Amino acid sequence: MNNELYQKLVDLYAGRELPAELEDQMELSAASNMELNHDMTTLRRIVDSLHDLGDVDFTEESYQRVLMKLYARGADVQLQAPASSHFQYNLPLQG
Amino acid sequence: MPNDALRDSLAEKRWLNALSKGDPSALGGLYEMYGERIFRYTFRMLGNRTDAEDATAETFLRVLRRSAELRADGAFRTWLFRIARNLCIDKMRQHKLMELPSDAHYSGSEERATLRVTVQQALADLPMEYREPLVLCDLEDMAAREAAEVLKISVPALKSRLYRGRRALRDKLGGTLERTS
Repeated sequence: MNNELYQKLVDLYAGRELPAELEDQMELSAASNMELNHDMTTLRRIVDSLHDLGDVDFTEESYQRVLMKLYARGADVQLQAPASSHFQYNLPLQG
Repeated sequence: MPNDALRDSLAEKRWLNALSKGDPSALGGLYEMYGERIFRYTFRMLGNRTDAEDATAETFLRVLRRSAELRADGAFRTWLFRIARNLCIDKMRQHKLMELPSDAHYSGSEERATLRVTVQQALADLPMEYREPLVLCDLEDMAAREAAEVLKISVPALKSRLYRGRRALRDKLGGTLERTS
């Protein structure tokens, strides 16, 4: 297998972009090829660990702070969604 | 085209047309559509919430300032990410910000959370040319063609950087992944 094709296949395998049949074939080849096996396993783990970093939480506070920065710089931003509770007066819970 | 993508595409067109006509609700609509993705991207690039919030706001301000250049031809999202990217690069040049994000919190088991911090740190330590494709393709799930457009490189160049980036990250992490798998 030429080097370029090898790289492409291993990368597609790592990113889970190969059709199942080809993936099975790669795994079969890897069973008798330590280097290929190492590349496939470790690179897939890298991609999985990147996916596993999870979403950065765009909190309500961040959402509102960005809006405030836009307003402060003179942007006229009108939202479709109802205004957040952050913009409403807080009423005492009792009394 | 799946229904969600079609709906988003129509909404995007509507907001871009409205923006070009000076409708003040348009920027809000675009912010509601893309604010979270741009924030997530800038956070990944800059590594902290405050700078990501600044960069997100500045990205949408630039959209407003350059609304005359906008065309509802499907390239808006790419253009938006390019603006965000340029702002991130400027900020990184100013502050050399790529230490471990001080406000990066990860949930889950302690071991998993530790692994995430380690991966995040290793990613932040990668050279920019490797980190960017990983953030766009592996974290943001952007298609190779679109990521290549954002980075202004060819698709083969993007794939090559992705290939090298993943290997560089693997080298940086060493045995960490084996120990925690």
